[in-house]
Amino acid sequence: MSPLAVPLVHGRASKYLDRTFNRQAMKILPGEFYATTEDEVIVTVLGSCVAACLLDPIAMVGGMNHFMLPMKHGDRDPDVFFAARYGAAAMEYLINNLLHLGAQRDRLVAKAFGGGRVMRGISTDVGGQNADFVREFLRNEDIPIWGEDMGGPYPRKVYFFPHTGQVLVKRMETTHNDTVYHRELTYIQEVTGKPMSGDVELFT
Amino acid sequence: MGHCILTVDDSSTMRQMITFTLKGANFEVVEAGDGVEALEVAKGKKLSLIITDVNMPRMDGITLVQRLRALPEFKFTPILVLTTESDASMKQKGKEAGATGWIVKPFSPEKLLDVVNKVI
Repeated sequence: MSPLAVPLVHGRASKYLDRTFNRQAMKILPGEFYATTEDEVIVTVLGSCVAACLLDPIAMVGGMNHFMLPMKHGDRDPDVFFAARYGAAAMEYLINNLLHLGAQRDRLVAKAFGGGRVMRGISTDVGGQNADFVREFLRNEDIPIWGEDMGGPYPRKVYFFPHTGQVLVKRMETTHNDTVYHRELTYIQEVTGKPMSGDVELFT
Repeated sequence: MGHCILTVDDSSTMRQMITFTLKGANFEVVEAGDGVEALEVAKGKKLSLIITDVNMPRMDGITLVQRLRALPEFKFTPILVLTTESDASMKQKGKEAGATGWIVKPFSPEKLLDVVNKVI
């Protein structure tokens, strides 16, 4: 079971053999992340969510997360600030897993994707906020951004090759992606509606 | 006199969030980016609490707890571990090193302050 009220989990077992790229593919969903040393491809589909692809090109360790910030209840500073707690944890889960696999923090580079304006019926630009957060986090942490494709009105399918850092992005037709929309709507309700905190244990 | 808390995390984003939470509750806060820097910052300071991450370059949080516990001035200072690690064996290592408590990220500001006030 995840220790969190809101799942931030290492990619569940959804590996398959991708015949186009002739290698193992790991598909990740909202709230998941995956880090690997293998020459695989990590795949995800993003609407307003964002995915950071991080890589240590020397150790050839790479990984991807897929998340969005909880909706803010106002523009007051503390609200704006604390909405980012979940995002910062999503980034740290991925970074720590990369470090466990042999990556060095000061060698990490990033590519960022998603953050599209695709949530119908929500006036806030949820995708834009997610994109801003990722850029600011990476800048704050001195992780160089090698490339990005964020914003705009479309969902994206992203293929990340962790051994080389190469990414293929397919911009999708908005109207054909109800699955992405519904999956993200459920996810944003989860991250917004539940308390965002992990377990606390005091040792006696 | 007010309480001074040392917060140790290699992520500057995370440090900002922790400091923001603690300063909002009128604590004085000093920061360090890893275990090595934490030992330097802590030297000669009267700290009411130390909050540390686990995975950090140069010196990790568990080693930091061990090193602090070996110093007479920090033998009994409360030390909270604030981390993404929730593994039972990792928690056990923290406990054996001498940590006072373990908080899994993402942290809720209310819960963090609640624990801080409990252990100080």
